[in-house]
Amino acid sequence: MFDPNHPTMLGSCARAATAAEAKFRVPYPNSRTRTSRVFALDQGAAEAMYAITEAPWNDAHFLTLANTSPVDPEATAADALPLAHPDGSQASLSDEIEGADVVVLLASRGDNEGAAEVIAREAFNRKIMCAGLALGAGKSDTTVDKVVNSMRRFATVLVVANDDDFIPAMLTALRA
Amino acid sequence: MLRKEINELLTETDAGKPMGEMFRQYWIPALLASELPEDDCPPVRVKLLGERLIAFRDSKGRYGLIDEFCAHRGVSLWFGRNEEGGIRCPYHGWKYDVTGQCVEVPSEPEESGFCEKIKLTGYPLIKIGDVLWTHMGDKDNRPPEPEWEFAKVPAEQTYTSKRWQECNWLQAMEGGIDSSHVSFLHSGSLKSDPLFKGAKGNQYNQNDKKPVFEVVQSDGGLMIGARRMAEDDHYYWRVTPWVMPSFTMVPPRGDHPVHGHFWIPIDDENCWAWSFDYHPTRALTKDERQAMIDGYGVHNKYVPGTFRPLQNKDNDYLMDRDAQKRGESYSGIWGIAMQDASLQESMGPIVDRTKENLVSTDNGIIMARHRLRKAATALRDKGEMPPGRTPEHQQVRSASKVLPSDQPFKDAMIEDLTVRPGVKQTSV
Repeated sequence: MFDPNHPTMLGSCARAATAAEAKFRVPYPNSRTRTSRVFALDQGAAEAMYAITEAPWNDAHFLTLANTSPVDPEATAADALPLAHPDGSQASLSDEIEGADVVVLLASRGDNEGAAEVIAREAFNRKIMCAGLALGAGKSDTTVDKVVNSMRRFATVLVVANDDDFIPAMLTALRA
Repeated sequence: MLRKEINELLTETDAGKPMGEMFRQYWIPALLASELPEDDCPPVRVKLLGERLIAFRDSKGRYGLIDEFCAHRGVSLWFGRNEEGGIRCPYHGWKYDVTGQCVEVPSEPEESGFCEKIKLTGYPLIKIGDVLWTHMGDKDNRPPEPEWEFAKVPAEQTYTSKRWQECNWLQAMEGGIDSSHVSFLHSGSLKSDPLFKGAKGNQYNQNDKKPVFEVVQSDGGLMIGARRMAEDDHYYWRVTPWVMPSFTMVPPRGDHPVHGHFWIPIDDENCWAWSFDYHPTRALTKDERQAMIDGYGVHNKYVPGTFRPLQNKDNDYLMDRDAQKRGESYSGIWGIAMQDASLQESMGPIVDRTKENLVSTDNGIIMARHRLRKAATALRDKGEMPPGRTPEHQQVRSASKVLPSDQPFKDAMIEDLTVRPGVKQTSV
């Protein structure tokens, strides 16, 4: 009779944890392609983002704000946010964010909290995780604080990166 | 997800490998001082960074860490006679001092000077706190001696243990900076472990299982803040420091001693999990010290006479499915240390990170890997010394605190996250 206190194979962990057994880990994919949406909230963030958009990503879309005018989040509906693809074509926030697995906000100046709020609001309404990445390379502490504060209310994870190389490292790790 | 070649870069620590060379730039824990308790005591086998070594304490109290094998015929010096200022191979009597210099070859005329031509690799071994530390890199580029607070407070305020963990160092270390698992894996222990229970912070942990993370680079590594809801527009923050390459601290709870770890590669498939507890301003109580000896908190019970945990993969970690069902232990494994170790060992000797699916809350781990990779390649390609070697980078503390929701931890907790002699830890 099966006794739940005693494993059916005494010491099964010993064998299972060997390098030889690790070879038998099933070779099939264990996840489907993720849908990631990366938003650059200012020009500096956009430049850092453009440097990596040509890499072979899975289903990541890279979006920028089409103009740098401050955004009033109360008065700005999702599709009124002026978004653009890297090639300059217009993008709709609702279309882009629908079905996304993760939203990543990139900021280097912290002067567009309103845009962050509009994007994060849409993500929140759809129960999508929203990560904020503050690009701190070459910035003063005051500037970095401003960038962080511009995203703090909206991001479920907030990272301060002192080098732009972290953007591809993070997106690769997240299978973007 | 990590590409295969980067996974190899981060996990392989033999000499000549980028991460191996990086570890060789630091003072790392090698043995507990209690393993060499007196002059001329028995030598101890030590394997670090893929090198088999022998540690001994000579007749004058000097510590040595040298190549394990006699230069003559390759006999292990673990069989040696530790006597009269050196360790002597029992096969033909060749004798070595604490630097590995051969000082006697009985079969050769003393006047020939032959023994001067024989020198085993030797590394310094110094005692700071309860630990014997070594530096396995270039002696001309030796960092300042370690200044970690746990090793510098008076002996009655600190306790250190080590255990053999049967997996690569990186997957063990990553558990040390992964704050989100605590609300699940260790939830039972938060209620019962004498070194954890009773703190008000535990309630915040239990009530909010979806912490929000902030990851901030520090000079020596990272500060990883996890915030949970507290009362009235306040957040409960737990901040975990990571100092390169492998020092982590657990945010404190109440007035319990502060815990932390070093994760030191033995070889690519095994590591030492060093675990310490200390209180910055008071002696550990008799009960606290006994609890540590008994394997509570971040410590563990042992197979007698060894540093192998009593719960290990050969006995399925004494899995208790009833305790799991009753909610006493989330995973069915007893004790915080082995709850972590059992799962990390189950990943296999070196986890295949090409198959993992990280999520945004894993950003502390992602950033730590990123910094390790950059530091290891900068050392390899440009000879740049990695962060974490200097005493200033080592003056860190973990902390937990309730802050108004508009205060970022990195500003509001600067002092709390820094060693302040004579000031107790910041804890909830």
